[in-house]
Amino acid sequence: MTRLKPYLYVAPLVLLLGFVFGTSLVRMFEFSFKMIRGVDGPWIGWRNYRLVLNQPLFWESVGHNLQLLLAIPILIGLSLLTALLLYERLRGWTLWRAVLFLPYVLAIPIIAVVMKQMFQFNGPVNEVLRWLSLDFMALDWIGSPDIALWTVMGLIVWREAALGTILFLARLLSLDESLVEAARIEGANWWQRAWHILIPQMRGVIEFFSVICVITMLSAVFAYVYILGGGRGGPGTSTMVIELYIYNALTRQSLPGIAAAVSVMLFVVSLGLIYLLFVVRRRQDD
Amino acid sequence: MRRTLPLLPQMRRRDVLLGMGAAGAASALPRHLAAQTPSLTMWWWGEQELPGLQAFVEESIAGYDAAQVSSMLQDTSVVISQFQTAAAAGSPPDLQYLWNGIYHMESVWFGYVKALNGLMDEGILRDSNPTVLSNFRGNTYRTGWYPLPMFILYNKDLFDRAGLDADAPPLVWEDFLDACDKLKSAGIAPFGGGAQDGYWAEWYVTHAFAQTIDTVGEAVELFIGDKDFRDPRYHEHWTRLQELRELGFLNDEISSIELYPGIDLVPAGRLAMSMSIGTRLLEDSNATGGRVGAMVLPTFGQGALAGRPIVDMQGLGIAEGSSEPEAAAAFLEYLNSPERLEAFYRLTGWLPASNRFDASLIENEAVAGMWRSWNTDNQITNVTNLMPGQFYEQAAIPTGQQVAQGSMTGEEAGDLAARVAQEWRDFNPDLVELYQEWVEDLSV
Repeated sequence: MTRLKPYLYVAPLVLLLGFVFGTSLVRMFEFSFKMIRGVDGPWIGWRNYRLVLNQPLFWESVGHNLQLLLAIPILIGLSLLTALLLYERLRGWTLWRAVLFLPYVLAIPIIAVVMKQMFQFNGPVNEVLRWLSLDFMALDWIGSPDIALWTVMGLIVWREAALGTILFLARLLSLDESLVEAARIEGANWWQRAWHILIPQMRGVIEFFSVICVITMLSAVFAYVYILGGGRGGPGTSTMVIELYIYNALTRQSLPGIAAAVSVMLFVVSLGLIYLLFVVRRRQDD
Repeated sequence: MRRTLPLLPQMRRRDVLLGMGAAGAASALPRHLAAQTPSLTMWWWGEQELPGLQAFVEESIAGYDAAQVSSMLQDTSVVISQFQTAAAAGSPPDLQYLWNGIYHMESVWFGYVKALNGLMDEGILRDSNPTVLSNFRGNTYRTGWYPLPMFILYNKDLFDRAGLDADAPPLVWEDFLDACDKLKSAGIAPFGGGAQDGYWAEWYVTHAFAQTIDTVGEAVELFIGDKDFRDPRYHEHWTRLQELRELGFLNDEISSIELYPGIDLVPAGRLAMSMSIGTRLLEDSNATGGRVGAMVLPTFGQGALAGRPIVDMQGLGIAEGSSEPEAAAAFLEYLNSPERLEAFYRLTGWLPASNRFDASLIENEAVAGMWRSWNTDNQITNVTNLMPGQFYEQAAIPTGQQVAQGSMTGEEAGDLAARVAQEWRDFNPDLVELYQEWVEDLSV
C-alpha cells in the first residue's frame, strides 16, 4: 500500500490529463499513419514520415529550432545577472523588478507587433541609428533572411528573461542570508559571494529554467515567429520553425496526416528531453 | 480509371432516421407549424477587404422573410479550415463564403460543397460571374459575390513630377523600365509595396506569371508535372523582379512592411506604383483627389494572357450538408436581385459581381473607369487561385519575398518552384489526379 500511495496521489491529475489529451494523442498517432482528407483517410504506413524526413523545408525548420537553442545560455546568464543585481536591493529595486517583469505580463502578440513596427527598415530603431550616424547598423531586421531569425531570438530573450529573473530572484530571496552576511564580513566581494555562495544554491531552479527554455525553443515559439515572420515564417522560409510547419500543413495545405507525423516526432523529442531531465535529477539526488 | 469521388457523401443511418422522424413529425403537425420558416446559417468573410459588407449582410438578412438567416463573420485565417472541419463533422453552415479556384475546389473534391446548377436560377447563376475556376465536371459550385480587379495603382502627381504622362502609363516592359528610371532620378521610389506578410509576392505572380502562359490550364500543367518551372519561360516573371531589384527600382522597405501599408505609400506620395485591388480604389481616389490611376502590369511576356486586365471573384456557395439547400439557393437569388445589388453598391461603395447591376449608379469616376476597363470580355482570372496550398506557401511566397529582397535569383526561384511542385505531387497523389481532371474544365 505504501508503494502505491504516491501513485494514488497523482492519479486524479493523470486521469484528468488523460481525459483532456488522451483522445487527441491517440488520434494524432493514428492520423500520422493515414493520408487524411477531411477527418479520415486510407492507411499509408510510414509514408508521411518518409515524406517529411526527405523534405528540405522540414530540416530547415528543425535547424531554426536548434539555432534558437543558442539563446538559452544568454537567457540564463542575463536572468541570473539581473536577479543577482536585484538581490543586492539597490535603491528602487522593487520598481526595477516590476519593470523587468512587464514584458512577461504582456501577451506575446502585443509585444511582437510593437517590435515589428520598431524594427521595420524605416522604423524607429533604424531612424535613431541613422540619426546617430550609425547607418551601417541600420539593418533590415525583419526583412532580411540572414537577420530575421536573430531578431526573433532577441525578442524571445528579452521576454523570457523576465520569467528567469523572477524565478531566480524568488529562489534568492528564500535563501538563508546569514551565509551571505558571513561572507561579506569575511571580505568576499560581490562576484565571490555570487559565484561561491548564491549560484551553487540555485542549481535546482537554474536546471528547471533550462528545461523550460529548451521546451520553449523547441515547441513554444509559434507566436513570436508567426507575428515577426509575417505569419509565414518569412522572409522566405528564414524563420520557419517546426510549430509553424505543423500549423501550415494542417490549416493551409490540408495535410493533417503530415501535421500529425511531425507532431508525433516533436512529442517524442519533448518527452525524451523531459525523461532526460528526470534521469539527471535522480542521479544528482543519489 | 479515375477514382470515384465522394461528391455525394454517403447518407448515414442516423441521418435517415432523423430525416424520417422529421418527416413524420412534420406530417403530424398542423399545417401552419409544418410550414415554419426555414433557418439558415451563413459563414462569410470580406468585411476585412471591403468595409461595409457587414452592413450589407445585416440589412439583407433583416429584410428577408423567406428564411431566418443567422450569419457569422469569419477570421481570415480560418475561412477554409473552419468550413472543412464543420463539413467533415457533419454540421456545416448552409451558406459559405468561398474564395475562387482551389480555395473552394478542394472542398468540392472532398464532397463538402453542393453544385448550384439545377438548384438555383441558371440565368442568375451565370450573370453572377462565378468564373471558370468554379466549374468541375460541368457543374458550377459558387455564385459570384463581388469582383476584385487587380491592377497596378500609380500616383499621377508623382508621374507628373518625374516628367511622365500620367494619363498614358507604360504598356510594355521597356517603357516601364524607362519610367522607373525617370522616377528614380526624380528621387521617387518607382515600384514595390510591402512583401513582409507574403501577399505581395502572391500578387506579383498574379500579374507577372500570367504573362508567360497562354491559358490558365497551362499553369495547372506546371503543378501536375507536365511542364517545368525550370524552363526559363516559366520563371521569367521572377527574373524580371530580380531585374527591378538590381536596378534599384523597388522601394527600400519592401521586405519589412506588409501588403496594405505598402499600398498606402502610393496615395501618400511615397511610392509611384504598387499592386492593388479594386475594393481599395474608391478610398485611394478620394484620398488623393482623384490623382491615382490603375494600369495593367506592362508586358514582357509572350503568353496569350499578357497585358490583359485581371479580375478575381469572391463568391458564395451552399454546403453539401445543408439541411435547407433550396432555401439557401433562394437566399442567394435574393442577394442577386436588382434591389440587393443596388444596396450592395450603396453600402460598400463597391460593385457587386452580377451583370444585372445597373452600372449607371456608379458615381465615382475612378470606380466607373475601373468598371469600363476591367469588366470586359478581355479580362482574365487570377492564376494564383490554381496553386495548391503547399506550392503557395512553400514556393510562390518565399520566392517572391527573397527575389525582392535580393537573396535569390529568378533562376533559383524557378528551381525552388520546380522542387516544391514535385514535393506537392509526392505528398498529394490523389489531388494530382483531380487537378488533371480540372484542367479539362479550365480549358472549356
